[in-house]
Amino acid sequence: MGRLIARRLLTAIPTLLAIIVLSFVLMRVAPGGPFDGERPLAPEVRAALEAAYGLDKSLPEQVWLYLTRLAQGDFGPSMVYRDFTVSGLIAEALPVSLLIGGCALLLASVLGISAGLWAALRAGKWQDEVLMLGATLLTALPTFVTGPLLALIFGLWLGWLPVSGQNDGGSWLVLPGVALGLPVTGAVAKLARAGLAGELGADHIRAARARGIAPLTILRRHALRPALVPVASYLGPAAAALLTGAVVIETVFGLPGLGRYFVQGALNRDYPLVLGVVTLYAGLIILFNLFADLIYGWLDPRMREG
Amino acid sequence: MRPALLIVALIVFAALLGPFLLPYDHASIDWDSVRVGLFTDGHLLGTDDLGRDRLARLLVGTRVTLSVALAAAMVALVIGVAWGAIAGWVGGRTDELMMRIVDGLYALPFMFVVILLMVVFGRSILLVFLGIGFVEWLTMARVVRGQVIALKQRPFILAAEAAGSPARATLLRHILPNVAGVAVAYLMLTVPHVVMIESFLSFLGLGVQEPLTSLGILVNEGAEEMDMNPAALLLPGGVLVLLIASLTIAGERFRDRLADATK
Repeated sequence: MGRLIARRLLTAIPTLLAIIVLSFVLMRVAPGGPFDGERPLAPEVRAALEAAYGLDKSLPEQVWLYLTRLAQGDFGPSMVYRDFTVSGLIAEALPVSLLIGGCALLLASVLGISAGLWAALRAGKWQDEVLMLGATLLTALPTFVTGPLLALIFGLWLGWLPVSGQNDGGSWLVLPGVALGLPVTGAVAKLARAGLAGELGADHIRAARARGIAPLTILRRHALRPALVPVASYLGPAAAALLTGAVVIETVFGLPGLGRYFVQGALNRDYPLVLGVVTLYAGLIILFNLFADLIYGWLDPRMREG
Repeated sequence: MRPALLIVALIVFAALLGPFLLPYDHASIDWDSVRVGLFTDGHLLGTDDLGRDRLARLLVGTRVTLSVALAAAMVALVIGVAWGAIAGWVGGRTDELMMRIVDGLYALPFMFVVILLMVVFGRSILLVFLGIGFVEWLTMARVVRGQVIALKQRPFILAAEAAGSPARATLLRHILPNVAGVAVAYLMLTVPHVVMIESFLSFLGLGVQEPLTSLGILVNEGAEEMDMNPAALLLPGGVLVLLIASLTIAGERFRDRLADATK
């Protein structure tokens, strides 16, 4: 297990570097810059600004400067939100994104796994058909449709839940969390069903049944863990995506999360902000994939590496 | 499979032919009836704030979304099949390297990359689908590679090689036709995914641009006036969900049948 972690972390470094350099270059090829406002700046002011942010240096030099700073945990200053550092902006936005994403993840794993397992136990019966059709429909629900729709029904018509911004209680989380979590719930349910249905047909389960072990014990002791491997492999990257902000959900519900900063940053050419979010996100994907791999080992010992 | 395919076919036909049957096009303005309700003044679904026929906009939006999705899925198909086939066929170090690259690209924050691509290269419709296709080929490459590796061991391929068939001919004549089924199945599953991404980008204002419209733009417009006119959100949203769901169901059935057939 230690070796797996070490190897993953070693391959993560070149991946992260490649992503950073790629995003850096992409941003710079884009026409426009962070200081192109409504009114053109005086050339001296512009030159001074570019010098202050190091934009006058050559591209490789800038990349190097960024990376050395990053190695010290410094994401640099925001070029558009003056007087704010990227770390500060991220520190402000990340908790909002984590809360929404955490709710969505909780909903997806609890509801998705239970629905999927139940469908697998009823495989071929009508409950299975209905649940799986429902799951497919859920995966087809784009957040930018469900978001406004839920806001309309539960916010404007019924008036049960707030539709915009945050409040002191936790009720502001419900609608964004549900809208974000529904498609993932469907996907998880499908994977859990396929995993358990496949596992229930395996030889060792038939052998256990032949020995007269109670169905519930078979499920708990033998079938459940390997059946959840596909769910774990899906939830790894999905969790990273959920936790780091759903651009649309944040836009629809007017929440100051990471996704919105990213889109605003990209549109404003706020280079350090965009790079900071991309780096954080890529790092989280790698981390969650590692978690998923560790969970495999726990779920299915055959997948443990030496 | 049947009902799902039927719904897809209906939506495609409506999107292709519908606009020709309407007296209005999606961008022209009817000054006499601005923002009228359903079934008013010859506008079946009414008109929007600018007096544009909602039905025409819905049909054209569906058409644009579908064509962008198909084009992007084709881009993904070409890259994915070529990449996967070469990796699987050549094998060894090349395979290892090519698949490491795919693994690495999976770690890309891909929604962010699409957004970045749209911001960087402007918002032409051509680039929308090139950009989406560029991030959507990874799964295709993996599936095709697996299929090619399995095929390489099959007797008829070994026979072709033993008979002195040059590698190129084996690949083109014997391997690729056998990969086609799987590739089509994953193409069918890529399309709904791309539909979702395209609408997502258009919703954020980063995809298709006015005067052209797409389901994502219509949903966005609908969301803004949903408190007064829920139909403006429900109709394009409903078409979008129906389209994605039925495409997914059809694609999954096709893939599962194929898997059963090759067992």
